[in-house]
Amino acid sequence: MVTELNESNFDQFVDSNSLAIIDCWAPWCGPCRRMGPIVEELASDLQGKAGVAKLNTDENQAIAVRFNINAIPTLLVFKDGVLVDTLVGLRPKEDIIAQLGL
Amino acid sequence: MDADVFVIGSGPSGVQAAIHAARKRASVVVAGKPSSSSMSGTEIENYFGSPPRPGDEILAEGIALAKSFGAAFLGQNVVSASAEDGRFRFSMEDGTEVVAKAAVIATGISRKSLGIPGEKDLFGKGVSYCAVCDCNFYRGRKAVVVGNDSEAAVSAELMTRYASETHWVAWDAEAEETLARKAAEAGAVMHASKPKAIEGDGKVERIVLEDGTIIPTDGVFIELGARSSADIAMDLGVMPEMDDSVKVGSDCSTEVPGVFACGDVTGRPWQVAKAVGQGCVAGMSAADYARKAE
Ligand SMILES: Cc1cc2nc3c(=O)[nH]c(=O)nc-3n(C[C@H](O)[C@H](O)[C@H](O)COP(=O)(O)OP(=O)(O)OC[C@H]3O[C@@H](n4cnc5c(N)ncnc54)[C@H](O)[C@@H]3O)c2cc1C
Repeated sequence: MVTELNESNFDQFVDSNSLAIIDCWAPWCGPCRRMGPIVEELASDLQGKAGVAKLNTDENQAIAVRFNINAIPTLLVFKDGVLVDTLVGLRPKEDIIAQLGL
Repeated sequence: MDADVFVIGSGPSGVQAAIHAARKRASVVVAGKPSSSSMSGTEIENYFGSPPRPGDEILAEGIALAKSFGAAFLGQNVVSASAEDGRFRFSMEDGTEVVAKAAVIATGISRKSLGIPGEKDLFGKGVSYCAVCDCNFYRGRKAVVVGNDSEAAVSAELMTRYASETHWVAWDAEAEETLARKAAEAGAVMHASKPKAIEGDGKVERIVLEDGTIIPTDGVFIELGARSSADIAMDLGVMPEMDDSVKVGSDCSTEVPGVFACGDVTGRPWQVAKAVGQGCVAGMSAADYARKAE
């Protein structure tokens, strides 16, 4: 199971993983539901290399605003606590891994 | 309305599925608009037993044949679907509900992008293809919904609940009247011209229409055509492939018992001959399933 983030643990998660990938989603979003299993696989494939978590943007709107999210699914990629990439839209796992340069 | 077999799509695959299901004495209801079939407005050049002929002619004859076997055609799109207690429930544009024992997805391929300048570059930077997904990010901001059909009408009405200002661009009104009126009554400003370009520096700032209108906006929601096959498949519990196609077995069954699929929606080749071949199989499989379903 991929960790669910919220206002109280978001920053801590980003800071404690040198590479953090966060899947921003919401319940009514069809493409997000398709992204779900891909993110689960990503989490197990990247174990030890990256921390992978999910963020429900409906319930955590302040974080969505903070990172300028205006479409989901979106993957936020943080390196050493700094946002380095924002991947918008449904895409296959291989594409994500290639984008991350892993 | 009840049916043994509900077919989503009035193209060659859906019509052939209806013919074969009805011939097996299932009660069959068919959704979809023949005018939205990929075959409409084309010349079909390589179809068995037929010299090159207009697709609309072949389709009209197919529909007449299916009706003669008892299939009912609604001529409307499905706006939502669900699966519960072994039954499949569908809502149509005008609010009609159909409950069926088996379902056939024959929705073809959906073209979702406009193909205008700025659309690709500004995707995720204000351009969205899913109003339901992204409406929440437009609270107090301006939004433009683009599309002619009922999906666009529903999206425009939805956006009025979030955006400070909602525009609806529809150059060829196809949306169901009640849904269109609801969007207008909710305050969506109508524009009857085709979009020409989406512009902005790193994010959407405006959309330009062919008649010269410029609408300043934060977001452009592109909602073309009917509810997509990927969304309908997911409503029914079937996970589509990355390219939005639906995987089927040799009996045209999907991963969900009672849900079958045929035609372009199952992937390449996108050909009439393959569409009717799979339609035959899917229609028979669905009728058999419905007969056994209690
Ligand atoms: C320009 C052109 C030329 C072509 N030439 C040839 C040719 O020469 N030979 C050949 O074999 N093939 C040709 N094709 C391809 C052929 O038209 C398709 O393979 C065929 O139409 C697929 O049939 P289908 O039933 O799977 O889908 P479609 O014919 O696309 O039908 C889809 C149906 O689903 C309905 N639908 C979609 N969404 C919903 C919804 N939410 N609710 C209800 N209904 C819905 C639509 O209204 C439509 O009725 C051509 C296609 C094009 C575009």
